[in-house]
Amino acid sequence: MYIRIYNQKVVKTTRSVDIGRCRHMSEELDSPPLTCYLHRIGETPVETERTEQAFALPMGEHVGQFESRLNFHRKLAAIVLLVFAVSFFFPFFFARENRISAEIPGGIAELALLPTLLLLLPPTMILLYALIRNSRRSEWLLSFAGTLGLLAPLAVLAYVGPRVVSTLGPFARYSPGSGMYLYLTAVAIVYLMKARIRIGDYIGLAVALAVVLALGHQGSFNRLGILLEARNFGTRLSREILAHIRITGISIGISVLVGIPLALVTFQSRRMRKLVFPLLNVLQTIPGIALFGLLIAPLAALSQAFPQLREWGIKGIGNTPAIIALSMYALYPIIRYSFTAISSIDASVVLAAQGMGMSSGQVWRIVRFPLATPGILHGIRVALVQTIGNATLAKLIGGDGLGVLVFEGLGQASVDMVLLGMLLIIALTVAADRIFQILITVLTPVSLRREGA
Amino acid sequence: MTTGPVRPTLEESPSFLKAEHISVRYGETVALNDVTLHIPTNRVTVLIGPSGCGKSTTLRCINALVKTSSGHIDYGDASIQAMSETDLRRNMGYAIQSVGLMPHMTVEENVDLVPRLLGWKRSERTERVSRLLKLVRLDPQVYRNKYPHELSGGEAQRVGVARALGADPPVLLMDEPFGAVDPLTREQLQDEFIRIQRQLKKTVVFVTHDIDEAVRLADYLVIMKDGMIVQADTPEQILAAPANEFVERFLGPDRSLKRLSLFTADHCCLEQVVSGTGKPSEAQLPKGSNRCYWQVDADGKPIMGFTWIHNRIIERPITSSTHTVQPYSSMKECMSAILSLGMPATAVVDDDGRLYGEVRFETIQTISLS
Ligand SMILES: Nc1ncnc2c1ncn2[C@@H]1O[C@H](COP(=O)(O)OP(=O)(O)OP(=O)(O)O)[C@@H](O)[C@H]1O
Ligand SMILES: [Mg+2]
Repeated sequence: MYIRIYNQKVVKTTRSVDIGRCRHMSEELDSPPLTCYLHRIGETPVETERTEQAFALPMGEHVGQFESRLNFHRKLAAIVLLVFAVSFFFPFFFARENRISAEIPGGIAELALLPTLLLLLPPTMILLYALIRNSRRSEWLLSFAGTLGLLAPLAVLAYVGPRVVSTLGPFARYSPGSGMYLYLTAVAIVYLMKARIRIGDYIGLAVALAVVLALGHQGSFNRLGILLEARNFGTRLSREILAHIRITGISIGISVLVGIPLALVTFQSRRMRKLVFPLLNVLQTIPGIALFGLLIAPLAALSQAFPQLREWGIKGIGNTPAIIALSMYALYPIIRYSFTAISSIDASVVLAAQGMGMSSGQVWRIVRFPLATPGILHGIRVALVQTIGNATLAKLIGGDGLGVLVFEGLGQASVDMVLLGMLLIIALTVAADRIFQILITVLTPVSLRREGA
Repeated sequence: MTTGPVRPTLEESPSFLKAEHISVRYGETVALNDVTLHIPTNRVTVLIGPSGCGKSTTLRCINALVKTSSGHIDYGDASIQAMSETDLRRNMGYAIQSVGLMPHMTVEENVDLVPRLLGWKRSERTERVSRLLKLVRLDPQVYRNKYPHELSGGEAQRVGVARALGADPPVLLMDEPFGAVDPLTREQLQDEFIRIQRQLKKTVVFVTHDIDEAVRLADYLVIMKDGMIVQADTPEQILAAPANEFVERFLGPDRSLKRLSLFTADHCCLEQVVSGTGKPSEAQLPKGSNRCYWQVDADGKPIMGFTWIHNRIIERPITSSTHTVQPYSSMKECMSAILSLGMPATAVVDDDGRLYGEVRFETIQTISLS
C-alpha cells in the first residue's frame, strides 16, 4: 500500500497506513484536516478522504517523522518542566546597595504568595499538556503557559523593586538573576514547541508588552539596574546604537558589492575557485581581534603617507579598520552562499534555457538570478547577524558602537552596563534577522517559497 | 481500395540538416563515433537505441549545445559552427529529456518563454499558450497558472513539449517527450502529433525508448548503438529487413504486428459501409454474406453491428470506445477493435463519433502480406 497525503504530495510512505490514522496524526500535530489519496503502486489514485484545507507541513515528510516529532514534543515538555524546576533553585534577582557594591541574591522564597503562584502556573500547565497531549485543545495550554510565563517574571520584578529600595536605601538597584533567565529559557522552549504562532499568542505578547509599559510608566521598574545605566548614558546611548547600525550597514554594503560579483566570477572560472575559497578559509580562521589589530599598522602607515586619506576618516584606529575587518569577515558567508545558490540550480533548467536560444546574459537574468536570489539573501542574512555581533569589537581599536557599553562596563565592573550593551546587541540582531526574513520571503519567487523556508 | 504505401517515400525529401562524420567525446567516453545523419526535411526522424547510445548527444549537437570534436553539421548552406548559436536555437524547438521547466515561472510563462524572447505581441501570445496547452491535452483554465512543482511528471513533460512548440519553429528536437506519460495519454498525444505533423510538416528529430512509438511516428527510423548508427531507413524497410541480429532483437518478436501500426485506417482501407437507422433488410445484409451492417442512431453514431456467422445473424452492441476506431487509428488498433467486437470488420467514426467507414479483417490480412 502506498499513500500520499496531498498538500501537493506531503507524505509518501510505502508502509501501510490507514486514513483514520492520518487524521489522527493531523490532529496530533494540530494541523488542519488533510486530503489523502490512497492507492496501490501502479494504480490511479483513488481519493479517499477530502477536506477543506491542506496540510501545513513541509513536503516529503515521512509518517515516521511525524511520529518521532510527536515523541519529541513529549520529551520537550519534560525538558521544559525540568528547566522550570531547576530555575526555582537559583536566585530570581540580585539586589545591590549601589552601582558597584556586592550582590545580594534573592530567591522565590522571599516572594509573596501571589507572585509565587503566578510563577508556578506555567509549569503546571505544561505538566497538564504533557498528560493530555492528544487533543487539539492542548495547544491552548501552550499558549497560556507562554503568555503567563512572560507575565510572571515581570510581576516578580515589579514586586521586588519597591521592596529593594525600602530595605537597601535610595541608591539600591536590582537585576534579574540566573533563576529568572532559566525560567525565561523554559518559556522560550514553550514557544518553540508550538506548531504555529497564532493570533492568540500575538494577543498574549501584546498583553505582556502592555503590562510592561503600564508598570514601567508607573515606575515599577525604576530601580532596575540596566534601566538606571541606560538613563545615565542619556543621548549617548542612541548615538552608539546608530553608530553600531552604521558600522554594520557599511560593512555589509561593501561585502555585498564585492562578494556577489566575486561569487559570479568564482562560479564562471575554475581557476578563481581554486584561488578564492582557500583564501576565504584562511581569512575566516584569523581571530576577530587579531584581524582588527593587524589592520592598524598598514592603515596607520597609509594615512601617514597620504594625509589626504585622514580627512576621509581613514586612519589606523577608529571605525575604518573596523569596517574593513568586518567586511572581510562578511565576505565568507556572502560568497559561499551565493556560490552555492548559483551552482545548485538544476542543470536541466539552465540547459533548457540555453536550448531555447537564450543568450548567456539572458540565462543569468531570466533563470540564474531569480533562482539564486533566496540563497544569496540567506548569505547576506548570515553575514548581517554575524557582523552585528562582531561589530562589538570595534571599540577595541577605538571605534564606536555598542561595544563601548560592553567594554566600558567591563572596565567599571558594572554588570548592568555590560548587560545593557549585550541586550541591545541581541535586540538589534533579532530585529535585523526578522526584517531580513521578511525581505527574503518577499523577494523569493512565489513557487520557491515553500521549499526555501 | 487504396492499399499502397502509407507515407511518401524519403527520396522526395531533401535534407537541409546534415551531420557529417561527427564525433563527440566527454573526456574518456566516446559518446558519438563518426555519425553521419541526413535529417529528411518536413519528416519525422526517430532515434532509438539502448540507454547511453548517444541519442541525446546527437540532439545536442544539432542545436550546438554540445561541441563536436570532429566532423561538422550543416544547416542549409552554412555550417552551424559558423552560425550564431542563439539564432540557430530559436529556429529549433527543444524538448529536453529532463523537462527543465523554469521552477519560478507558471506554466503559462514557461510556454510563453520563446515567443517572449522573440518579442511577439502580448495578445497573440496569450492566445497561443491556450492553443498549445490544449494541443498537449492540458486544460488551459486549470494549468495556466500552476507552477511546475504542482505538476505530475507527465504533465510537466507535456508542458515541456508545448514550450518547445512555442514559437512555431521549423525544426523540432524532442528528447523522449512522452516518456513519463501514461500509455493512454501517450497514445492520444501520438495521435495528436501525427495529426499536426500532417498539417504543419515540421522537420522533427524525435528520441524514444519505445519501439512501438518509434514505428508509429517515424518516417525515418535511426537505430543507434554505442555512439554509432546501426541502421537508418524507413520503418517499413527496417521491419521487413533488419540489418543484423541486434536490430532484430531490438524490434522484438512481434515484428509483423508492429508493421500493422505503420498503417492508419484512413490511408489504406476505408471501405464503403452499409448502414441505416433500423435493423438490416435482406438487401442490406444478404443471407450468408460476410459483410457487416451498422445500425446508427439519429446522430449517425453506430450503436449495433450485424453480420452473418454460421448461418445466423448476430448482433453486437457497440458500447465502448474500444469497439470503434478513428481515421487516424493504426491497423493494429483496428485489429484489436475487430477482435473485441467479434465482427469481421470494425466501424470507423469521426471526431464526433459519427459513422465514417469500416475496416475489414481481410484488408488487414492483405496488407500484412504485402
Ligand atoms: N555531460 C556529460 N559528461 C560526461 N559524459 C556524458 C555527458 N553526457 C553524456 N555523457 C555520456 O555520453 C554517452 C551518451 O549519452 P546520451 O545522453 O547521449 O545517451 P542517450 O542515448 O540519450 O541515453 P538515454 O536513453 O539514457 O537518455 C553516455 O555514455 C553518457 O554517459
Ligand atoms: Mg537521452
